[in-house]
Amino acid sequence: MAKVILTVDDSASIRQMVKFTLSEAGYSVIEAVDGQDALSKLASVNLVITDLNMPNLDGIGLIKQVRANPECKGLPIIMLTTESQESRKQEGKAAGATGWIVKPFSKQQMLAVVKRVIG
Amino acid sequence: MDRFKQGFLEEARELLSELESSLLELDQQPDDPETVGRAFRALHTIKGSGAMFGFEDIAAFAHDLEAVFDRLRKGQLAASADLINLALAAGDQIKTMLDAAAGEGTADPQRGTRILSEIRELAGTPESHQETPAAPPDSPASAPAGTPVEWSIHFRPGPNTILNGTNPLLLLRELRELGSLRIQPDVSAIPRLAEIDPESCYSAWDLLLTTAAGRDAIRDVFIFVEDDCELRIEAAAPETGASAAPAGTAKREAPASAAQGSGGASSIRVAAERLDQLVNLVGELVTVQARLSEISARRDDPDIRAVSEEIDRLTAELRENSMSIRMLPLRNTFERFRRLVHDLGIELHKQVDLVTEGAETELDKTVIDQLNDPLVHLIRNSMDHGIETPEARRAAGKPPAGKIRLRAMHSGAQVLIQVSDDGRGLDAQAVRARAIEQGMIDASAQLSESELFSLILAPGFSTAREVTDVSGRGVGMDVVRRSVETLRGSLEIASQPGQGLTVTLRLPLTLAIIDGLLVRVEDAYFILPLATSLECVELTRQDIQNAHGNHLADVRGETIPYIRLREFFAMETALPEREQMMVVDTEEGHCGLVVDEVLGNHQTVIKNLGRFYRDVQMVSGATILGNGTVALILDPHRLVQHAVHATLQRRPDSRQTRRPPGSLSRPSPQKRI
Repeated sequence: MAKVILTVDDSASIRQMVKFTLSEAGYSVIEAVDGQDALSKLASVNLVITDLNMPNLDGIGLIKQVRANPECKGLPIIMLTTESQESRKQEGKAAGATGWIVKPFSKQQMLAVVKRVIG
Repeated sequence: MDRFKQGFLEEARELLSELESSLLELDQQPDDPETVGRAFRALHTIKGSGAMFGFEDIAAFAHDLEAVFDRLRKGQLAASADLINLALAAGDQIKTMLDAAAGEGTADPQRGTRILSEIRELAGTPESHQETPAAPPDSPASAPAGTPVEWSIHFRPGPNTILNGTNPLLLLRELRELGSLRIQPDVSAIPRLAEIDPESCYSAWDLLLTTAAGRDAIRDVFIFVEDDCELRIEAAAPETGASAAPAGTAKREAPASAAQGSGGASSIRVAAERLDQLVNLVGELVTVQARLSEISARRDDPDIRAVSEEIDRLTAELRENSMSIRMLPLRNTFERFRRLVHDLGIELHKQVDLVTEGAETELDKTVIDQLNDPLVHLIRNSMDHGIETPEARRAAGKPPAGKIRLRAMHSGAQVLIQVSDDGRGLDAQAVRARAIEQGMIDASAQLSESELFSLILAPGFSTAREVTDVSGRGVGMDVVRRSVETLRGSLEIASQPGQGLTVTLRLPLTLAIIDGLLVRVEDAYFILPLATSLECVELTRQDIQNAHGNHLADVRGETIPYIRLREFFAMETALPEREQMMVVDTEEGHCGLVVDEVLGNHQTVIKNLGRFYRDVQMVSGATILGNGTVALILDPHRLVQHAVHATLQRRPDSRQTRRPPGSLSRPSPQKRI
């Protein structure tokens, strides 16, 4: 069965790009518009790719909540950051992010990271 | 000398024997990649550590040799017999260099240069047409072009790695895509099952990655976890494939390969003398403890008794512990003989395979140390006189390659070591004729086969001037016997003419302290080794009457012959009302040793009897009891053998067949002690 990836971003175009790239690579992708939305869609998800700056619940908050949820133990979470957000990256890691992708990124870069994290 | 250097020298010697054994294995299976790898790694570590501790000459020498093995490893070169012989010589050269570094003797640099140039010559020629394709088939096409380099990577994920969503195995898989990867898991940190947190990661990995991708590409794999894990990425060896690697690189790899070599083994090296000292002290402690329990028994003071019992228990534990530290497997000893067999085979133009069994059997180090010479002698004898030339073997319908089997196994408190060959064996009648000729036995003497064979152990049997086939087998056998007996062991020979010969050495596990059973006859105390003691039964007047004057007792339906120690040692006093009998297990079968009283367990520190009593066979030593008296430690095996012998000598006609143990009915009183 194809692995399920949840892409969390308030920008639809980013979600599109992510979904397209990953679907092409054989993954099954579902979308969430922010952290709060994501929390309700976590069941049977194999990987979360989340933006950091989002309304309602931001990426860091999402990561913290996922890590606090015993049902999602060990769920890989990749955050999308920009180079200017080094401190946010540290914050995300401290919250329990598995990895990160620096924006802007190429398809190959993202696929490489996804592959590294969920095989 | 610097402690580290000393450590290196010891490690290097071990690596050399590792190298040697893998070379000898290669001799048998010339293209086993595992074995080539072992040889390579041994050299690699010698080189790396050598450079690190300032043994540049050794490092350089090992480096040149390593380059050849690297090519062997990659299949660019075949392991020919010549190459292996040269490599063995090179190993010896490194050994003399090590000895020279340790201040023993000097190394001949010219010999080294000669060996190396011969090896290079041998390795250099076939290079051009045995080249394998440069890129390994599984390396990704996208890998940047460049020379493949070997990287040594140590990776230990942090405790939260898995909780944070990283699967370490995926990282390893990703690494594998970069090139060829050797993975060595390190599971030493895994706790006991009850303490395992299933969500935590306890494993670590040591990886050897050969890739053309650079350090950054490797780091990139670990980029998400590098802050939370233990990660070391070090260049190991340049994969140049030629012997001309720059010297600078060779030195830089030292730390990496040293880490590789130590493999995280949790052991320490201690000088052997310190262990001996420890065992001696424990021996003293055991003696003092015996005094304490003697006193506590006399005083009948509950406080003292409690302490004394506690100390008794602790001493026993301490003794067992410290003795086990000195136990070593026979493996190294056995491995050394591989070389001997190899070299002798060349010298004598015989093909001989050495098969070892039970190399993991452990023996006290002091026993092992003294075992080498007798075993060398036995193997030499087998190679020299036992195993025939390939032609003669073919003529006799045997495979051209002879076989020597070295076996070790436990048997109670003893270890049996057997050296057997499938050579021409020993002809009992020829031995007999020879013994009669030499006046060692009477022409009418009736001897069993094993007794005949044991004649060749007698001094002077084979040192006669005219060396026959038979006497040839016995050369120096008396020396072997003597050194085995110094170890309080014994030796037996069995043989089928034309089929081969088996020599069995029977050795005590240890020479220092044993568990014994203290028994008393009148006012004399004796110790019986607990390992051979089976049970203690009462010998009543009724039992004695029932046997009608025979020394036989009925123990739950089994008729057991017994020896009354009182008679054996000619202590001519009246029999006590009740006697006790210890049933002991010997090669002659179960046998009873009758004493006045069995007093109980005794931790027995073995003291030698001294040169004067060297020929006393039935007593293997003495020990000092708590009250200061001396107790002799009996060797039940010898004692029973002696009694059997004495009985049979009085009845020479009973020897035609091998007697059942029950025939030991009338031991005569002996006054040998």
